[in-house]
Amino acid sequence: MSIVSVEHVSKDYMLGKTVVPALRDVSLAVGKGEFLSIAGPSGSGKTTLLNLVGCVDTPTAGRVIVAGQDTARLSERALTELRLRTIGFIFQSFNLVSVLSVFQNVEFPLLLQGGQTRKERAERVLALLDAVGIAEHARHRPSELSGGQRQRVAIARALVTRPALVLADEPTANLDSETGGNIIDLMKEMNRRDGTTFIFSTHDPKVMAHASALVRIEDGRIASREDLDAARLAGGR
Amino acid sequence: MAPRRDAARVLLRIAFRNLLASPVRTGILGAIVLVGALIVVVGSSVLDSIDRGMRTSIQGSLGGHLQVYEARSEGALELYGGLRGESLLEPIEDFSKVKAVLEQVPNVKQVVPMGIDQAMVATGNAFDLALERLRGDVRRLEAGEDGPELRRDYAAHAAHVRRMVQLLRDEIAQAREISDPEGREAAERKSEWEALQRAATDAFWRDLDRDRYGSLEFLENRVAPLAMDTAFTFLRYVGTDVDAFFRAFPLAEVVKGERIPTGQRGVLVGKQYAEEWLKLKNARRLDQIKDARDRRGKRIADDEELQRWVRENRAGIREILLQLDPIRADALAQELRPALGAPAAEPLEALLGRLFAATDESFDGQYRIFYDVVAPKLRLYQIDVGDTITIKAPSKSGYFSSVNVKVYGFLQFKGIERSGIAGMMSVLDLMSFRDLYGYLTAEKAAEIRALQKSMGAREIDRERAEAELFGAADGALVGEARVAEIDEGALVKRREEERASAADLAAHVYSQEELEHGVALNAALILDDPRLLRRTEGDVRKAIADAGLGLKVVDWQEAAGLVGQFVTLLRVVLFTAVVIFFAIALVIINNAMVMATLQRVKEIGTMRAIGTQRRFVVTMLLVEIATVGLVFGLAGAALGAGVVWGIRVAGGIPAVTDLLYFVFSGPALFPRLGALAVGGSLAVVLLVAILSALYPALIAMRVTPVEAMATED
Ligand SMILES: Nc1ncnc2c1ncn2[C@@H]1O[C@H](COP(=O)(O)OP(=O)(O)OP(=O)(O)O)[C@@H](O)[C@H]1O
Ligand SMILES: [Mg+2]
Repeated sequence: MSIVSVEHVSKDYMLGKTVVPALRDVSLAVGKGEFLSIAGPSGSGKTTLLNLVGCVDTPTAGRVIVAGQDTARLSERALTELRLRTIGFIFQSFNLVSVLSVFQNVEFPLLLQGGQTRKERAERVLALLDAVGIAEHARHRPSELSGGQRQRVAIARALVTRPALVLADEPTANLDSETGGNIIDLMKEMNRRDGTTFIFSTHDPKVMAHASALVRIEDGRIASREDLDAARLAGGR
Repeated sequence: MAPRRDAARVLLRIAFRNLLASPVRTGILGAIVLVGALIVVVGSSVLDSIDRGMRTSIQGSLGGHLQVYEARSEGALELYGGLRGESLLEPIEDFSKVKAVLEQVPNVKQVVPMGIDQAMVATGNAFDLALERLRGDVRRLEAGEDGPELRRDYAAHAAHVRRMVQLLRDEIAQAREISDPEGREAAERKSEWEALQRAATDAFWRDLDRDRYGSLEFLENRVAPLAMDTAFTFLRYVGTDVDAFFRAFPLAEVVKGERIPTGQRGVLVGKQYAEEWLKLKNARRLDQIKDARDRRGKRIADDEELQRWVRENRAGIREILLQLDPIRADALAQELRPALGAPAAEPLEALLGRLFAATDESFDGQYRIFYDVVAPKLRLYQIDVGDTITIKAPSKSGYFSSVNVKVYGFLQFKGIERSGIAGMMSVLDLMSFRDLYGYLTAEKAAEIRALQKSMGAREIDRERAEAELFGAADGALVGEARVAEIDEGALVKRREEERASAADLAAHVYSQEELEHGVALNAALILDDPRLLRRTEGDVRKAIADAGLGLKVVDWQEAAGLVGQFVTLLRVVLFTAVVIFFAIALVIINNAMVMATLQRVKEIGTMRAIGTQRRFVVTMLLVEIATVGLVFGLAGAALGAGVVWGIRVAGGIPAVTDLLYFVFSGPALFPRLGALAVGGSLAVVLLVAILSALYPALIAMRVTPVEAMATED
């Protein structure tokens, strides 16, 4: 049972009068609980693919089905709801709301969802801040934190609503390799603990090594897909 | 509901924090909003107060609540005069018909007939005054009285007249030098000059006692008119049913003298008019200096106008000296010396020079001395209460008509005493107005012809009676015969005669019916409940149409003409200023918000990507700007209220001109803060703030979630 199903998707960008094909007839299925890495050279279409899966962009052709819903058939409002309730985003440049504290940034999606008491929210937020290791910074503003700390906040925010799917476009690109490694470890742990599906793009081979599956994309086409866990298992240990 | 509330909470939080995060921008936007609210609050409070002031002034002085006038009139009714003089109104032929109809309209309390016009008034002059005194002495002497006191007065008064004849001759001699001896009126001028020469000779005065009446008549008929030439002025009056007028206009009051008795002829001269045009120039200037010092904080030492007045007062001493015969002059000098601390021998001219040489230190004392010591010996007003004056005006029929009326008092309007706009207005009885206006309906003309016949008969009786009054019937008759000779060709009727017919007319009491059954030019309607003005205006129109009266109805503001438009003009000015201000504000706020939105595109994209709906984003932006509008709008309104309060505490906005005095309905305007002004200002700034945020909000709405992904830096 796949949570994401991309079927014969193409995406063209218009650059002036020339058509730039970013994706060409891509099909991909992502199963629940996968920790999938998308790799490929710059300009190959990684971000474009993630945007389509994350319902922030629409394909030129083909279908994108997320959590069983054909995104092409959803209204703008329904798409927003889908993003709010089903998907979590971790951005390359963290994208925290600068005027809100760490706690409030993480609480933000919960408030948008509504339906919880203040206490329930606080417990949830604090638990996540604890899990990503920045509970002591709850009251700080994002500007007072380091890059790694900010990305932890972003991860907490992406996970606070218990989304089925978390998308991350080069989450470690703006971090040094040690911090980047920590962040991947953190994501991996969340993946293991809650069974949350992660799809992330990266250039970093060390990061790719953590993935359960690796999709290589080249020139807008899927070049290969390897199941690393299976390979690792096959490689024997 | 719960999810919405949570979302709203975080929305407010972000909006507020965004404001705090950029204090400079918020400060600038806030300042604009604050100033805007301040302008609106102060501006509209002041305007409302002016509106109220003007309502009081107009309704209370001449306007009433509604005015009606003949619909066929060429011009519009302008109660306080227009740019081209008096309104060109067709007459309402029979006021009683109008009154009968309009009084029946609900909410109409009173209908007051009016006719406003201007006329010439002979003011009399110092020469007349001196002659009058001499005449009094002559009458007593001719009546057989005698005694050293009377002889002394007689000599003094004769000396006074003689001195004035000499002055007049000097003046005319100068005029002759520049005039054309061959001109059309040369013969007349020559005869005038000869008369004057004769009156200036020693022989004429030596012979005074030989033929007192004859000499007196010569002076009156041949010499006095030469001094009279320039001595007239224009009087603006409203002819009205005087009792009804005072009932209708609560601001009207008599300050000196008394009201014109019911049904009688008479005039109440506008106090301000009297001050400006009839008062002795030196006294008027002293008043003006005092006013400038007391009310406007001016000082003689550093104000050119005040210095000019002081200079003119020193030059104007001659006018005072002219009024005084030797006896009075002596008495005055004696009183002035100790008051001014002058040496014992100092002559009157020097004393007066001392009195009018004012400095800031000495002025108040000198002002008091003038009114305590000098003024009682002078005729302060050229026309004063108790006088009978001749009013002349070109009538409808083309001839000059003239009436003699007694001045019963000075009239002023409470609260706007100093305003020339209402203060120039005099009140004349309706009958005299009609005589001056001279419009005759066929029926009326016949009536008057009949009346004139009987009056003519009575006039002759009068003359006899008067001669008897003088005691020496024979002498008087001889005198008159002589006068007839001298009088040949004279255009003016003999003064005594005029006085006699005036006395007769003045004593006549007209019935209310006579008053109302005749011409009026317009009528003021007073309402029971002024709040229902618009409805009553409609009712009055209907009643007029139903009765076929052919009248035009206007409200008090329109009837006030230019003056009434003053507030409208102010409103337009304020409105334009406010519109321009807010247009600029709109552009600035819009720009600032567009920039702020563009700066936040990534943040907005992020919020959208993680599940924030569009409307949330738009609302956030609007809340942000509305907060600025509300907070700073309130602050501005509060500050405005403070300014309004400050103005009141500081003594109001002074009415520095006539017009302001009138529209402020007093010497200063005390603006009152209206709830409407505060509410209105808040509404306006909020509206402008939100309008100016609409475009930025549109930009924000168009931000797509993809923009969160943009990797800038
Ligand atoms: N908004 C856009 N307008 C036009 N062309 C675009 C746009 N976004 C992407 N492209 C083009 O589409 C292609 C795929 O771009 P995409 O950003 O998906 O690549 P990427 O694999 O994420 O590259 P990188 O590793 O550099 O982030 C590229 O050729 C890019 O130039
Ligand atoms: Mg990319």
